[in-house]
Amino acid sequence: MPKHYRPPGKKKEGNAAKYITRTKAVHYLQVSLSTFRKLCILKGIFPREPKKKVEGNHKTYYHMKDILFLAHEPLLEKFRDIRAHKKKVKKALARKNRELADRLLNREPTYKLDRLILERYPTFVDALRDLDDCLTMVHLFAALPAVEGERIQVERIHNCRRLSHEWQAYISRTHSLRKTFISVKGIYYQAEVEGQKITWLTPHALQQVLTDDVDFNVMLTFSEFYVALLGFVNFKLYHSINVKYPPILDPRLEALAAELYALCRYISAGSGRLSGDPQAVTSIEDGQREVEKTGTRTEESELRLAQLQHQLPANEPGALMHLMENADDMDDDDHEKKECRNLFRNFKIFLSREVPRESLLFVIPAFGGVVSWEGDGSPFKESDEDITHQIVDRPTQGHVFLSREYVQPQWVYDCINARIILPTEKYLVGRVPPPHLSPFVDNEAEGYIPEYAETIKRLQAAAKKQVLPMPGVESQGLDDPQTLLVEGIIDRTEANEAAEKKRKLTMLEKQYHDELNMELQGITYSTSLSNKNLQSSVENVKEDTMTTLEESEDLSKVSMSRKKRKLYEAMKIGQERKKDKIKLLKERKKNAEASKTG
Amino acid sequence: MILKPRVSSYALTRARSRRERESCSGYRRTSMVAAAAAATAMGKSQRSSKNSDRLEQEIAENPAANEDVEEASGGDEESQPSDAASLSEDEGSQGSPVDSEEENGDVSDDEDHRSGEESDSSEEEVPSRNTIGDVPLEWYKDEEHIGYDVAGKKIKKQARKDRIESFLAGVDDAKNWRKIYDEYNDEEVELTKEEVKIIGRMLKGKTPHAGVDPYAPYVDWFVWDDKGHPLSNAPEPKRRFVPSKWEQKKVVQYVRAIRKGLIKFDKPKEEPRVYLLWGDDSSAAENKRDGLSYIPAPKPKLAGHEESYNPSVEYIPTQEEINSYQLMYEEDRPKFIPRRFESLRSVPAYEKALKENFDRCLDLYLCPRTRKKRINIDPESLKPKLPSRKDLRPYPRTCYLEYRGHTGPVKTISIDVSGQWMASGSSDGTVRVWEIETSRCLRVWNVGEAIKHISWNPLPELPVLAISAGHDVLILDTGLGNAEEQARIKELLHVEESKPEEDGSTPVVSWVQDDKYDCIRLKHLKAVTTVEWHRKGDYFTTVVPSGDSRAILIHQLSKKHTQNPFKKLHGLPVSAVFHPTRSIFFISTKKNIRVYDLLKQKLVKKLETGVREISSIAIHPGGDNVIVGSKDGKMCWFDMDLSSKSYKTLKTHPKDITNVAFHRSYPLFASCSDDCTAYVFHGMVYSDLNQNPLIVPLEILRGHTSSDGRGVLDCKFHPRQPWLFTAGADSIIKLYCH
Repeated sequence: MPKHYRPPGKKKEGNAAKYITRTKAVHYLQVSLSTFRKLCILKGIFPREPKKKVEGNHKTYYHMKDILFLAHEPLLEKFRDIRAHKKKVKKALARKNRELADRLLNREPTYKLDRLILERYPTFVDALRDLDDCLTMVHLFAALPAVEGERIQVERIHNCRRLSHEWQAYISRTHSLRKTFISVKGIYYQAEVEGQKITWLTPHALQQVLTDDVDFNVMLTFSEFYVALLGFVNFKLYHSINVKYPPILDPRLEALAAELYALCRYISAGSGRLSGDPQAVTSIEDGQREVEKTGTRTEESELRLAQLQHQLPANEPGALMHLMENADDMDDDDHEKKECRNLFRNFKIFLSREVPRESLLFVIPAFGGVVSWEGDGSPFKESDEDITHQIVDRPTQGHVFLSREYVQPQWVYDCINARIILPTEKYLVGRVPPPHLSPFVDNEAEGYIPEYAETIKRLQAAAKKQVLPMPGVESQGLDDPQTLLVEGIIDRTEANEAAEKKRKLTMLEKQYHDELNMELQGITYSTSLSNKNLQSSVENVKEDTMTTLEESEDLSKVSMSRKKRKLYEAMKIGQERKKDKIKLLKERKKNAEASKTG
Repeated sequence: MILKPRVSSYALTRARSRRERESCSGYRRTSMVAAAAAATAMGKSQRSSKNSDRLEQEIAENPAANEDVEEASGGDEESQPSDAASLSEDEGSQGSPVDSEEENGDVSDDEDHRSGEESDSSEEEVPSRNTIGDVPLEWYKDEEHIGYDVAGKKIKKQARKDRIESFLAGVDDAKNWRKIYDEYNDEEVELTKEEVKIIGRMLKGKTPHAGVDPYAPYVDWFVWDDKGHPLSNAPEPKRRFVPSKWEQKKVVQYVRAIRKGLIKFDKPKEEPRVYLLWGDDSSAAENKRDGLSYIPAPKPKLAGHEESYNPSVEYIPTQEEINSYQLMYEEDRPKFIPRRFESLRSVPAYEKALKENFDRCLDLYLCPRTRKKRINIDPESLKPKLPSRKDLRPYPRTCYLEYRGHTGPVKTISIDVSGQWMASGSSDGTVRVWEIETSRCLRVWNVGEAIKHISWNPLPELPVLAISAGHDVLILDTGLGNAEEQARIKELLHVEESKPEEDGSTPVVSWVQDDKYDCIRLKHLKAVTTVEWHRKGDYFTTVVPSGDSRAILIHQLSKKHTQNPFKKLHGLPVSAVFHPTRSIFFISTKKNIRVYDLLKQKLVKKLETGVREISSIAIHPGGDNVIVGSKDGKMCWFDMDLSSKSYKTLKTHPKDITNVAFHRSYPLFASCSDDCTAYVFHGMVYSDLNQNPLIVPLEILRGHTSSDGRGVLDCKFHPRQPWLFTAGADSIIKLYCH
C-alpha cells in the first residue's frame, strides 16, 4: 500500500485537510480569481506556509479556516451582486437601451468597509501598527497625476491628497513627528502616535511616472481599503484632539494648493485656543490678519462663522474638561515631545519658491516653527523683518536681508534628526551641503560611523553640556573609554578601539620595563634587535593563540549537531559579509581622501 | 265577365306547372308555396314585401289550388288524361278571356299581361294601380274603395266572390292555379310561364336564371409563386400591435408603489461616512481578533545612509564597481545604486516609486507568512559546552617519531601487545617490524605482493603476524621471543602436506607450508582484505569481499582448519571483527553492521549507520560501543545497549575516513582520513547505564603529506601509552605522543 493512500470513506487529515491551494480555494468559493484577490486584499487574508506541502512545493496554500472565513463574508455576496449588475448594464448598452443603462448605473450596488476595518483592527493601536503601508500608498496616490481618463479615478487621487494632508496636519499639530530623511526615493517621515512608531514615504513633489509593469487593479483595491482605513484613523485622531473631523477648509487656500496650511489653521482654531499654546495662536492670528488684509473680509468672516458653528457641538460638553485635559497633556508630555515642540520655537522661517513647500510646511510647524512661503495666502511676506531663516535652494541669492540666514533645505531636516540647531555655515546658499545621513540606521550595530555622524554627535554632546565644541581636541582626550561610553559621547566600537590602544600602550610599557630590567642586568643588546625579537615573540604568541583558537573552533564544530552547525556557518557568513561591507566603505573613504589631498 | 279571365289565367298557370312536374317530381307543397311567393316577389318588385306576404296568405287560403298541386304531385300518370282533357278545354275557351279583357277595357291589366308574356325584366315598369303606399290595408277594410289611382280617383272594391263562386271558377279555369289574388290592388294576378319556371328553379335550390353557370372556371387573381425575399414574409402577429395586458398590470403596480412612496427616484448618492470606529479600547476581551492567529507583515526595511539624496562619499560606488555589478548574477546584483545630488532641487522623481509600491502590495497579499523565530544570538553560544581539553590529558598531541624505510604507501600497521614492536605493511610488498621506541627497523620481509592488512597475534607469548597480501594470508613468525617460545611457534606453524578432501570438492582455503619464510600460507580463491585475530590468538578471520558465499572465513590456527559459517551475506562485506571479551562477531557490510552470537549462531543485532559506505570499524574495549568510519567523512558512534541507530554522528573529515581506532585502556579514540589529518577524541564510556558516553574532540594531528590523492591510511593506538601511530601514503609512519 502506498504511503499516502487514503481509503475511500476516510476524511482527509492533517495538512491535507488544513490547507488548500489557491486554485482549489477559488473553486470552493465559486468566484473568479480577481474577485478572490480583491477579497483577500480587503480581508487581509494571506497564504500560509504549511509544514508539509501536500499538493506540491510550488503552490500557494491558504489555511482552510481563512477560506471559510472568506466564504462567510457578506462582501462576497455583494461582489456577486455587483457582477450581476455590471452584466445588466452591459446588456442594456449592447441593446442601445441607454435609458435603462442610465437608470441601472444610478443605483449601483455599493459596499462599506467599516465593519471589515474593525474586524481586522479590533483596537486603534492595531490599526496604527499597520499604518505604514497605508500611509505610503496614500501619499503615493496623492502624488499621482490627476488626469481625467487615466486608469486611476481623479476622485480617488483627490481623496488621497485630502487624507494625507489631514494626517500631516494632525502630526504637525501634535508635534509627534520624530525623524525625517530625504532619500532618492522620496522623503521618509517617522512619527510616534500612541506609542507606535509609524514610518512612511512621500514621493518627491514631482510628476510621477505611470508605468505599465504594474497591475492597477491590485493597487486600486489596496488603495480603496487604505483610504477607508485612513479616514477612520483620522477621525479617531481628530476626535482625540477635539476637532470635528471632516474639516471645512478655506476654499481660497485650497485653491492655492495650500490645503495643509488651511488644515493646520482649522485645527488650531478648533483646539489651539484650548490647548493654551500661545505661540501657535499668535502666529495663526498673525497669519489671519495677513490674510484678512488681502482677502475679502466678508468671505473670511463667513467661513469663520461656519467653522465655529461646526465646532460648537464638539466643544460644548464641558470646555473646562478639555482645559483640564490639555493641562494634563502638558505635564504628561515626555521629554522627547517637549524637545520636538521647542526645536524651532523662536524661529520664523520663510520658504523660497523653489524649495519643496509641502514637506517643509509640514515639518517646520511640527517642530514648533513658524513658516511662510512666497505666494498668495501666505501668513507673512518675505520682507518681514522678524524672519530668522530663509530656506533657499538656488546657486546664488540676489537680494540679501542681513537680519536672516539663508540656508538650504537640508539644514531643516538635519536639525530635526539631530534635535539640535546645527550651525548654518555648512548649509549656506551656494555651498555643497554636508552628507545627509539616515536617522534610521543604528551606526553602532552597523559597525561603521560616517564622519558627519560623529561631528553631529559631538555637537549634540556640546549642546547638552552647553559647551562650545572643539572637535580636534576632544577626540584626543580619551582617557577612559568606559566613562566616555557611559556618558554617551562615544559608542561601543570607538570604545573597543580605545581599549585596543590602551592595551598596546601597556604592552609597550611592559616592554620598556623589560628592557630596563635587561639593561640593569647588564645584558647589552641593540635596542632595535631586542625590539625585533620581542615583536617577533609577540607575533609568535599571537599566531599560536590564533592557530589554537582556530583549531578549537574546528573541533567544537565537529561535536555540534548538524542543524546547529549549519546555523553557525550561516551566521558566520553573515558576519563575514558585514565585515566586508565595512571594509569596503573604509577603503572607499580612504581612496576619496587620497584623491582629495593628492 | 270577370270570372273568365280568372279561369283562363288559372288554367295557364296550371299548364305551366304541369310542364314543370314532368321535369321534376316529388316536390313538397310548402316549398312550392314559398317558391311561388318568391316568384311573385321577383316578378313584381315594386310591390312591397307585404304584398308578397299577402300573396302567400292567399295561396294558403286557397286550399283548392294547393290540393290541385298536391294532386299533381301525388299521382302523375293517373291524372294525365284528365289534364289533357282540361288542356283541350283550355284551348277551346282561349279566345273568350281575351275578348272579355278587351271588353273590360282595363288597359293596365292588359299591359300587365303583355309585359308578363314578353319578358321578365320589364316587370318593374308595371305601375301599381293603387297608390296608397305602405299603409295597413285594414284602414280600407270598411271603405268602398281600396285606394286611389294615379289620377286620385277612388278605386272601387270589387264584389267579393264567395267560396262556391271561386271554386266554380277554379273548376272552370284550368289556369286558375296560376292565379294569385293581389289584395293591395284588389285583383287577381296570373303568373306567367317564365315566372313559374323561376319559382321551380328556386325550389330546386338552383339559380333563378338558367343562364347562370355555377361551375364557371376559376380565375386565380393572386400570384402564389415565391418572390425570393430573404426575410420572413409572415405577417406580424396581432400581439405586436396590441398593448400587453401584463405590462399594464406591472405599470399599475409600479404606479401604486410610487404613489405610496415605496419607490423613490433620484436617491442622493451616499457619501462614504466616517465615524468613531474604535471606541474604548479598555475591554481587551472584546477587542480580540477572532479567527486564526494574525501574522503581521514584516515592515519594509528602513532607508540606510546609502539611500540618501546626498550620501557621504564612501557610500557611492566607483564606476568600476558599477560595471562589475553587471557581471554579477541578477539576484545578487544590488537593487539600488547610490547617487549623489548636489542640491535638493536637482533630485528627480523616483521612476520606480510605483513599481516598488506595487511589489510591496504583492508581498502583502501573495507571500505566504510564517512565524520565524529570529535568532539574535552570538554564534559562539551555539557551540556545545565541552570540558576543557587540559582536563582530558594525556592524549597524543605532537609528532614524536617518524619511521622511515618503506618505499610505497604504508597501508597498514599493527602494534605488538607488549608495546615494544610495530609491524607495518606497505604496497611496495614489504613487511617491516620496528622497535617502537627507537624507530629502528628490526626485520624486513619481502612478500612480493602489496600488503593489505597486517595483524599481531594478541597473545604475548605468540609473536606471530597475520599478513594479507593478494589472494594469500601468511602466518609469519617474527622470530621475536625466547627460544622456548620459538620452538612452540615452529611446531604451531607446521602444516602437514594437504591431504585431498574426502568429498572431492575444492577446499575454500588451502593451508600450505611456505618454505621461504618458514610460515603458513593460506591460499584463498579471491583477494583477501582484512585479517583479524580472536582475543585468544587461536582463531582468526579473513574477509574476501568478492567471495560471495565464502566471503567471511574463520580459521583455527591450532587445527589448521577453516570454517565458513556465514553462507549468506546481505551486501558486500567490508570487514569482520571479533568482540574483545565475548563470543560475538561483527560483520560490516557497506551499509550496515551485523552482530552475530557465535555460540548461539544467530544474529543479535543489526546496526544501521545511514552513511554512504562504511570503510572501517572499531570496537570499544568494553565491548558495548562501536565506532564506524565511512567514506563520506562521517564517524558514527554506536551504543549497543541504546539503539540500532548511531548515538552520535560526527562529521569530521572532508574526505574518506580510512581507519578508526580505540585505545585499549585510555578513553581515547581516533580517526584518520585521506585529508592527511587524524582526529583524536576523548570517548568516555561510563559504567552507569544512565549516562551517555561523553565524546569530546581533542586534537587534529597533521603532518602527513598527500600522495596520489591519499593521506593517512592507518592509525593505531599504543596498547599501554596514549600514543597514536599513523601510517601515511607518503610512506612514513608517525608516532604522536602526549
